[in-house]
Amino acid sequence: MAGKFNSDLHLDITAFGGQDADMCMNCGTCTTICPMSEDSGGGFPRRVIRLIQTGQQAKLEESLDPWMCYYCGDCTTNCPRQANPAETMMASRRYLTSRYDFTGLAKLFYKSALAEILAIVLVGLFVTGLFVAFHGPMVLNKVELNTFAPVHAIELGDWIMAAVLSFFLLAGAARMTWWTLGRRNMLRISPMIFIQQIPVFFVHLFTQKRWHKCGSHHSGIRWIKHLLLVSGYLSMLTLVLILLRWFQTDTVYPFYYPQRLWGYYATIALLYPTLDFMISRWRRKEPIHLFSEASDWIFLIMLFLTALTGIMVNIFRVGGLPMATYLIYVIHLSIAVPMLVVEVPFSKWSHIMYRPLSIYLAGVKQAVGAARTREEQSAEKIAA
Amino acid sequence: MESMKQETVQDSAIPHTPRVGVYICRCGGNISDVVDTDHVAEICRLIPGVAVSKVHTFMCSDPGQQTISDDIRQEKLDRVVVASCSPFLHELTFRGAVMRSKMNPYLYEHVNIREQCSWAHKHDPRGATAKAIQLISAAVGKLSHSTPLEKIRLPNHRRAMVVGGGPAGMKVAADLAACGIPVVLVERSDRLGGKLPILNRLFPNGQAATELAAKLESQVLSNPKIEVLLKSEVTTVSGFIGNFEVAIHGDFGPSGHATDIHTTVGVIVMATGFKPYVPTDGEFNFKRHPAVVTTVDFNALLSKQKGDARTFQFDGRCIRSIAFIHCVGSRQVDGVHTPAVDGRINTYCSRVCCTTVLNQALQVRQRFPDTRVYDLHQDIRTYGRGHEEYYTDASRAGVVFYRYHGQEPPEVTNTNGPTSPLRISVKDYLSWGEELEIEADMVVLAVGMTPGPCETLVDQLKLPRGEDRFLQEIHPKLRPVEISVNGVLLAGTSQAPMNIQETLAAAGAAAVKARAMFTTEEVELNPYVAEVDAHLCEGSGACLTQCEYDGALAMVEILQDGHTVRKAHVNAGLCVGCGACVAVCPTQAINVSGWRIDQYDAMVDGLVRDLTPTTI
Ligand SMILES: Cc1cc2nc3c(=O)[nH]c(=O)nc-3n(C[C@H](O)[C@H](O)[C@H](O)COP(=O)(O)OP(=O)(O)OC[C@H]3O[C@@H](n4cnc5c(N)ncnc54)[C@H](O)[C@@H]3O)c2cc1C
Ligand code: SF4
Ligand code: SF4
Repeated sequence: MAGKFNSDLHLDITAFGGQDADMCMNCGTCTTICPMSEDSGGGFPRRVIRLIQTGQQAKLEESLDPWMCYYCGDCTTNCPRQANPAETMMASRRYLTSRYDFTGLAKLFYKSALAEILAIVLVGLFVTGLFVAFHGPMVLNKVELNTFAPVHAIELGDWIMAAVLSFFLLAGAARMTWWTLGRRNMLRISPMIFIQQIPVFFVHLFTQKRWHKCGSHHSGIRWIKHLLLVSGYLSMLTLVLILLRWFQTDTVYPFYYPQRLWGYYATIALLYPTLDFMISRWRRKEPIHLFSEASDWIFLIMLFLTALTGIMVNIFRVGGLPMATYLIYVIHLSIAVPMLVVEVPFSKWSHIMYRPLSIYLAGVKQAVGAARTREEQSAEKIAA
Repeated sequence: MESMKQETVQDSAIPHTPRVGVYICRCGGNISDVVDTDHVAEICRLIPGVAVSKVHTFMCSDPGQQTISDDIRQEKLDRVVVASCSPFLHELTFRGAVMRSKMNPYLYEHVNIREQCSWAHKHDPRGATAKAIQLISAAVGKLSHSTPLEKIRLPNHRRAMVVGGGPAGMKVAADLAACGIPVVLVERSDRLGGKLPILNRLFPNGQAATELAAKLESQVLSNPKIEVLLKSEVTTVSGFIGNFEVAIHGDFGPSGHATDIHTTVGVIVMATGFKPYVPTDGEFNFKRHPAVVTTVDFNALLSKQKGDARTFQFDGRCIRSIAFIHCVGSRQVDGVHTPAVDGRINTYCSRVCCTTVLNQALQVRQRFPDTRVYDLHQDIRTYGRGHEEYYTDASRAGVVFYRYHGQEPPEVTNTNGPTSPLRISVKDYLSWGEELEIEADMVVLAVGMTPGPCETLVDQLKLPRGEDRFLQEIHPKLRPVEISVNGVLLAGTSQAPMNIQETLAAAGAAAVKARAMFTTEEVELNPYVAEVDAHLCEGSGACLTQCEYDGALAMVEILQDGHTVRKAHVNAGLCVGCGACVAVCPTQAINVSGWRIDQYDAMVDGLVRDLTPTTI
């Protein structure tokens, strides 16, 4: 990490999409209005904005606050200075993601849409190239996807990709943990606490239940849509990573067969929310949709296209169109793979991990604090 | 006592049977709700010498005053007591009333039975009533020993001396001269203008300081009634209102050689201004790092900026960030700040530095958008009209504010050599008291005000200073530009930290006060000064050892019965009537007129007089 103080921190955050944070006069209206802020103890968004204004890079990077905000936008609506605190919170999440990533790619992609698109195109072309070079025989009288792209080969590719991405993702998670728990403190924390808090991570990963506290009237619906999206996403991930042999078959099972039903559910759960989010971002009716960064658009478009091409593979396969199936399959993977490679560790996707991890870390911190108070109290008792 | 009374000259004037009128005011219930005023009036009739004793609901009203006038005529009263509110309020009213009826105003006594009786003892009506009777009885006692007194009249020299040629001094001189009063303006430096030449764009209207200085200066220089003495200082001063003798030493002679001038002036106006606080060596790294400067230096740096750089320039370097620190040398805290040589710290607020900082910070942000500005304050005291806008604008222009507590001032450390940034650590209360670190290329210290150099006049005229060492007015509200030495007035920052607007307002007030002092050919002073009974004075000089007022008392040699004898002599213009001399005179030859020892004796007798009706 750089020095503690960074006089250009506000400019850095602006580069990640922050708006007018310099207009903030520290009144605290945003913090009062924010339904999520009360139990974080830090008084965000004001504190986060304050840290940015005052160039406190180290303190910002040690903070979990940006992750506690679910962007209802109420603070922005009520800010008397039009300092757009919500967008600053969003930008600081992007900033933190780029800081947790040690490769510098996240920073590059966030700051330059061109670089991100280029990376996606390159990886996409690479995948297409792999198919052009190594695809299996194309049976044309009936659909034999597993001959064109044998499932064990695809599975191997999946696992290699998953391993690489996990490495980057876990490296980011490690840095986040290291910084937020405090370099010196971390080693002193009892491993039991880390273990005890693990359920928290998974509960929040699957439910995002904290979001439910968000007071804004639209938040409920947004949460449900988001939940739908995550369930679709995780379903798809399970189907292609763990259950691929069961999922990618050439036999056409009846409609009600779980393999198909689950796949359809996942598709709808991906298509509907992404489409809906895109429309909202396009319309810019809500304050939260006023400012869309290229990274937001790319993420949604890629996810949408992945699901769309995925369902098309299914339609063509069930419809018995061999050539179309093979073609769209290559396109599907040429979108899905770059989407995962670029988005998962280096862009917006990573928040799926950072959000529950931040709540987990907050839980650890709290448990450590509680343990310390208990120790102090008993020490006092002994002294008395 | 009896025998001495016979001997004192004043006693010869006492009529054998004084006729005293006693008037008791109900003050619309303020007094009569507690004090039984009718009973008081009844009892007072029993006091020897009282001819009339009456009660009235509002003595100060026209009918109330008319009663006094009527009685003086019809009842042939020769002394009057009014028992009512505080003498601050109405002593002069009633003195005027008796004067209009051709009675000597000093044969009037005022008794305060509101603050001292009904208000002080509202739960003890009987006690309050008894006390009122005692106080009135004392006043009647004193009055029966009072003699008619006359105001002291002395010649009034129609000429004013203004010390200090800053905004305050220039304004007083110009205003007085415009009324036709000749002025001698004494300025120790080689130019007029005071601090104006070192200021830049002035708050609250952004006017150039040089422009304001030129305007004031032309008002002064264009008026032939003003004699401007540059590079000069007052060396000696003595005398009293209307009659100050001053000696001025300076380079104003025709050949430019040092010369002395002696002159007499009727009024002296102190416009000696302020000295900007100079941080001590190492205070916030001052003098240890070239980029730690004061707001005074920064004004000059601002004026010197050239071209259209987007970044502030200093020493040929780009300054990317500036931290302003408020309250340097002001609002100091005991135990935190090192006292000055006189052992004192400056606990007061200098009042102009907050807006000065914001004015400068805003100029930086507007002219050099690539220079970031940090503002470390305890409070933002932009109290004047149009000042708060500087705060709002600075805030909107992206100035980042930090708030520290006086007990925990920020610390400035040098990171690495004279061109490297400075590190500032501050416990910031806008961040919940977090310890924050800032790095800035430049640190500007908002220095406060300390009193200007006026020791000679202060010592020689015995001018009082406040706890903060600025000159002290008589009363902050009622007599804001007067000082307890009659004929000396205050203008501007010699009195307290002020901005230019307040300085000029104060100067205008001082000019009007000074002008009012010249309305008469003679100055009139209260007769309450010491007087010596030449027969009793044995010339011991004991009184001289006690008198604190230069020139008020002197031993003179006079011819008595063919011998030259030493006697004490009072200069009525300089005596303040404090009575220190009275206490030490072995022969009781010296007394304060209107408050003589025999009058005190009579008051004590009056206080203990038994007035129960049956005993009389
Ligand atoms: C950094 C700074 C910035 C400021 N900016 C502003 C601003 O933007 N707007 C504003 O309204 N105010 C401002 N002020 C305040 C302003 O400077 C004062 O209000 C003003 O100068 C007071 O005028 P003065 O005549 O009382 O005193 P001074 O300006 O101090 O003048 C006193 C004069 O008396 C002379 N003198 C002193 N002692 C003697 C002596 N014994 N014999 C003879 N001559 C003597 C001195 O040489 C001097 O010429 C600022 C102050 C500071 C420190
Ligand atoms: S972001 Fe707006 S509401 Fe929040 S503290 Fe700043 S000015 Fe106030
Ligand atoms: S005016 Fe402001 S900077 Fe100056 S002493 Fe007062 S509070 Fe401090």
